[in-house]
Amino acid sequence: MRLRRLLFLYAALLPLLAGLQAIAQEDLLRTTSEPGIRGGKLVIAQRSEPRTLNPILTVDQNSLGVLGRMMGDLIHINRATQKSEPALAKSWTVSKDGTVFTLKLRRGIRFSDGQPFDADDVLFTFKVYLDEQVHSLQHDLLVISGKSVKVEKLDVYSVRFTFPSPYSAAERVFDGLAILPRHLLEKDYQAGKIGQDWPLNTPPAQIAGLGAFRLKQVIPGDRIVLERNPYYWKVDAKGQRLPYLDELTFVVVPTQDAQVIRFQAGDSQIISSLSADNYAALEAEQKARHFKLYDAGPGLEYNFLLFNLNDDLEGRLPEIARKQKWFRDVRFRQAISAAIDRAGIVRLVYRNRAAALATHVSPGNRAWFNSAIPVPIRSLPHARELLTAAGFSWKSDNTLVDPTGQPVEFSIVVSSSNAQRNQIATLVQADLKALGIGAHVVPVEGRSASDRVLNTHDYEAVVMGLVSGDADPTPDMNVLLSNGQTHLWHMDEKTPATPWEAELDQLMAKQLGTINYQQRKKIYDRVQEILAQQLPMIYLASPNILVGAQENLGNFHPAIIEQYTFWNADELFWHPPAGKQ
Amino acid sequence: MNRQSSLSRRDPPLRSGFFTRFRLSWAIWFLVGVHAVVVLAGFIAPYSFETQEREHPFAPPTRLHFVDCAGKFHFRPFVYVTKAAENALDQYQQDCSQPAGIEFFPKGDRYTILGTFSSTRHLFGVPAPTNLFLMGTDGFGRDQFSRLLYGGQVSLFAGFVAAAFSAFTGLLLGGIAGMYGGRVDDVAMRFAEIFITIPWFYLLIAVRAFLPLQISPVTAFLLVVSVIGIVGWSRPARLVRGVILSARERNFVLAARGFGASNAYLLRRHLMPLTFRVLLTQMAVLIPQFILAEVILSFLGLGIGEPFPSWGNMLAQAQQYHVLVSYWWMLLPGLAPVPVFLAYHSLAETLQERIKSNF
Amino acid sequence: MIRYLARRAAHGLLMLFGVSVLMFLLFQTAPGDFLSEIKVSTQISPETIATLRAQYGLDQPLPVRYWQWLKSSARGDFGYSFAYNTPASTLLLPRARNTLLLSIPALLISWLIAVPLGVLAAGWKSRWADRLFSGGTSTLLALPDVLIALLALLIALKTGIFPVGGMTSINAQDQNTWAYVRDLGWHMLLPVAAMVIGSLTMILRHVRASVSEVLESSYMRAAEGHGLPRFKLLFGYALPAAANPLISLFGLSVAMLLSVSLLIEVVMSWPGIGPLLLESILARDLFVVIGAVMLSTVFLIAGNLLGDVLLYAFDPRIRRQA
Repeated sequence: MRLRRLLFLYAALLPLLAGLQAIAQEDLLRTTSEPGIRGGKLVIAQRSEPRTLNPILTVDQNSLGVLGRMMGDLIHINRATQKSEPALAKSWTVSKDGTVFTLKLRRGIRFSDGQPFDADDVLFTFKVYLDEQVHSLQHDLLVISGKSVKVEKLDVYSVRFTFPSPYSAAERVFDGLAILPRHLLEKDYQAGKIGQDWPLNTPPAQIAGLGAFRLKQVIPGDRIVLERNPYYWKVDAKGQRLPYLDELTFVVVPTQDAQVIRFQAGDSQIISSLSADNYAALEAEQKARHFKLYDAGPGLEYNFLLFNLNDDLEGRLPEIARKQKWFRDVRFRQAISAAIDRAGIVRLVYRNRAAALATHVSPGNRAWFNSAIPVPIRSLPHARELLTAAGFSWKSDNTLVDPTGQPVEFSIVVSSSNAQRNQIATLVQADLKALGIGAHVVPVEGRSASDRVLNTHDYEAVVMGLVSGDADPTPDMNVLLSNGQTHLWHMDEKTPATPWEAELDQLMAKQLGTINYQQRKKIYDRVQEILAQQLPMIYLASPNILVGAQENLGNFHPAIIEQYTFWNADELFWHPPAGKQ
Repeated sequence: MNRQSSLSRRDPPLRSGFFTRFRLSWAIWFLVGVHAVVVLAGFIAPYSFETQEREHPFAPPTRLHFVDCAGKFHFRPFVYVTKAAENALDQYQQDCSQPAGIEFFPKGDRYTILGTFSSTRHLFGVPAPTNLFLMGTDGFGRDQFSRLLYGGQVSLFAGFVAAAFSAFTGLLLGGIAGMYGGRVDDVAMRFAEIFITIPWFYLLIAVRAFLPLQISPVTAFLLVVSVIGIVGWSRPARLVRGVILSARERNFVLAARGFGASNAYLLRRHLMPLTFRVLLTQMAVLIPQFILAEVILSFLGLGIGEPFPSWGNMLAQAQQYHVLVSYWWMLLPGLAPVPVFLAYHSLAETLQERIKSNF
Repeated sequence: MIRYLARRAAHGLLMLFGVSVLMFLLFQTAPGDFLSEIKVSTQISPETIATLRAQYGLDQPLPVRYWQWLKSSARGDFGYSFAYNTPASTLLLPRARNTLLLSIPALLISWLIAVPLGVLAAGWKSRWADRLFSGGTSTLLALPDVLIALLALLIALKTGIFPVGGMTSINAQDQNTWAYVRDLGWHMLLPVAAMVIGSLTMILRHVRASVSEVLESSYMRAAEGHGLPRFKLLFGYALPAAANPLISLFGLSVAMLLSVSLLIEVVMSWPGIGPLLLESILARDLFVVIGAVMLSTVFLIAGNLLGDVLLYAFDPRIRRQA
């Protein structure tokens, strides 16, 4: 009798024990930030909604903002420290030569729909990313110098990545590479249809991820609502499972001014990017409306004046080709740089919330900024000296003429939709006028402007900006390498056109393979020296990251790498209003 | 219908020429005055449209004083030096120790009137380091009053050129449609309807992006304006066609045909003159429409390039939240077209009445 | 009557065809397409871009694209939005509905105010009232729409009474239907008011001009002389007689339902078809632009047709002619 009862008890307890064992066996990540309180909703306004929920097709920041909260990655870059840290991979070892990464995955973790996660999902994910037929946008990230990364499964919770050559930024590659659920997508992948999966109107039950939130509802053109993922694999110092928020909503508010208005009204509780002007306008209202504004310092965006140095213009655009004689002379570019009032730009366009730049690396990039390079100060006499040395002279009415007697004038293209760059162009134009140069600003619709710079090369000068993908130098290689995708000043260069470009190529390739940080820093310092001297782009300013949030939002730590305000959405929580407990 | 019934009861009959002539002349004199002021913008404006006072961005309109800080009264109005406050970039304080009276015919920035006459003498101004910003400054410290005057050159001229193009194209196509009638007429009118439906600003973006960069912004802008005008040909074309269709059947035309007149002769000698009056009235209606089109174009960022001002691109700055809320003087360019439109409107009304009564 | 309608309908279809061809041609002229922005921002290889271009059909010749679009439109599929990765119709229809939410009330309110007011104004004896009326409406007419929209926004911002921009508050979805309708109405107030101010004066002037012209005629004067009460004279006899041009104008107002609100929608961030059109043009989202233009053309044709039908129904003279 007793035996039967014992057996019965054991049978009843078995599932409970198994369940407890399962939970106990979950390899959870313990965070170190301030423990928070569960509950509440958060609304964030974004410029536009994601075009799709399929990680394979997303590349723009708006989509990544939403998807990044729904998906998990193996190794993640902590936006506050700018260093990589364990995520789904709880630890990893690197071989001596830096090419082999062996990752140990967390055990017992489940997707947002309850299905278990293991190495097969990782394998599937990278198979999809590397598959040429799929044309994923992540493909190029995993191809180093023409060869793909190799991915092997070692056991249920271990994966080995083999890079074709030592790759200094290897760890950082994994950030943002969403791990796909094999159980939901494998069938479509094998049928060749994975590119069509997960459009915006997919029912939430068909989407699963390893992020802090999962999809709850989509109202096209208006908002996307995410809810807490009950299976999320992080707990705080008190043992509470993250995220704290019940719901996270992304609303579509197309212009920054409209976003400011909604934020002010309390419709949204975070504002992710403010222009300096709006920041100043909101400053006065902080106390009354119970929000706080933050200035996170210079970000990774750099604005510059670019001259057309392409060599495919002969015969096609003779007028511009003629002017390139001026642009190609480094003294001309240095003179222009000396004539520009960067302090004025920082003050008038950004209200002193920006940093003047000597190279593309902003002072906000603490790990890689070369502080030994001085920022050029405006000096018209110095500019005149340089121009005289280059053979230019002035007519009696102060017009600058080149050695052949032609007046120096050119057009500056700028994207019509970017107010700050338009303002910069206007200031630059006035500065150049003081030097006798007749520049006129041509605002052109955004895509037409990119088209001119990237494809047709039909422009003389352009004021534009780029945002470095990461603090690490590696993403900038697309711009700096002679054969880079976005080697803007001289696109489609077969071989380096000048000795300094050749040196740049060499140095960047070297830093790619150098694992030691000190050595890389020295190499990159030299790269910055060359850029400051040769000025392929005349670097102007880097705006500060200006954000705001309701004052009782806890764990709000704005960063200078995207997503500025909600990179740690899983840790955000609401303080109770004072007096309530 | 007799003459009298076609007149509105409350307006005095045309026979009493005084009132109508009075109304006509206020509109015409006002427009002539406005255009004269705008042409002489270089002289009347104290600053050039591109002079940047980088120490005074978004300065409010300068206060004119007759009584100084000590309480003394002066006959000549004067202003004080303003300095930006320490940390706030747009808070300005007056410095009582440095008054400066308004001078007449001082020397200032060099300007050119109509491309021929050049000088440095302005109508009025103040000596440095004081500033006279009658309508405040924009984000670059450029005097809005001066820019308003120079901007008038662009906006008003844009209306003219576009309306002229429109009228000319309308005359051409409407004339042909009315003259030849039948299939030609049908096709032309369908074509006209299509043009009304197309979002004209898309056409503009395309043209704007397509323009070669070497031309000056003024030329680029004129080209864009001509495109607006050419796209707007349908209404004048309809009108002209209507006039010609009805006139075609008149006795004198039939008589001329009987004498062997060709179509071209008829058009030139008899029919076109009839259309002129209608076109003139139509121009008075079109010009304000096209000025508005330029304002909207510039507002959307597709108008004339920096640093040239136009009423539209000056107003566009007010679209930004911080400007709308903090700097009220940036909205003033929106009011500038109002009296001009009123004058054109009044002119158009009078011309229309004249036509109705004479037809 | 049926033949007349059939002819107009055929003419309308021809117009649609013409507009679509013209739009397709125009698209070819501006440089740059949807993919040029992707190239700037990330490390994407040229092969991937070329494949994406082929996937979206951007590298096929224009006539081929047009023919395919025509075929699928006949089936009700208006093409695909590259930017949003969804069929164009799912984008356009909700936006069109939002625009109509603004323009239909504005239309009704404008006409409901303008007609009685205009008729009354036509009947005024006082010269000064007339002058005031003329002056007032002229001034309002002369105010650019842009300025009206900006002022409306400014009022909302400064007073804080009205919601600023957008169609509904963020949490509106959670509330019950009545609260949702109230919230919507509150958001609609300023944009509709701005639109009414913009269109009211024009209609007012036309009504007054029409009716005052009719009031000049001898039979009207005779009726007045016979002692017909003022109200009956104006609304019972003058208005119907003056109705023809007004009915055409009404048809025109209906025709403009989708297009008249563009500036207001842009300035006050109302999610209507205007901002979508602007955005799609800038994004070179070919099919959405053409779809939006087609939609407004349909309204244009329908509006004119409605005007014609109403005229036919209302005016016996036309019925006898046709």
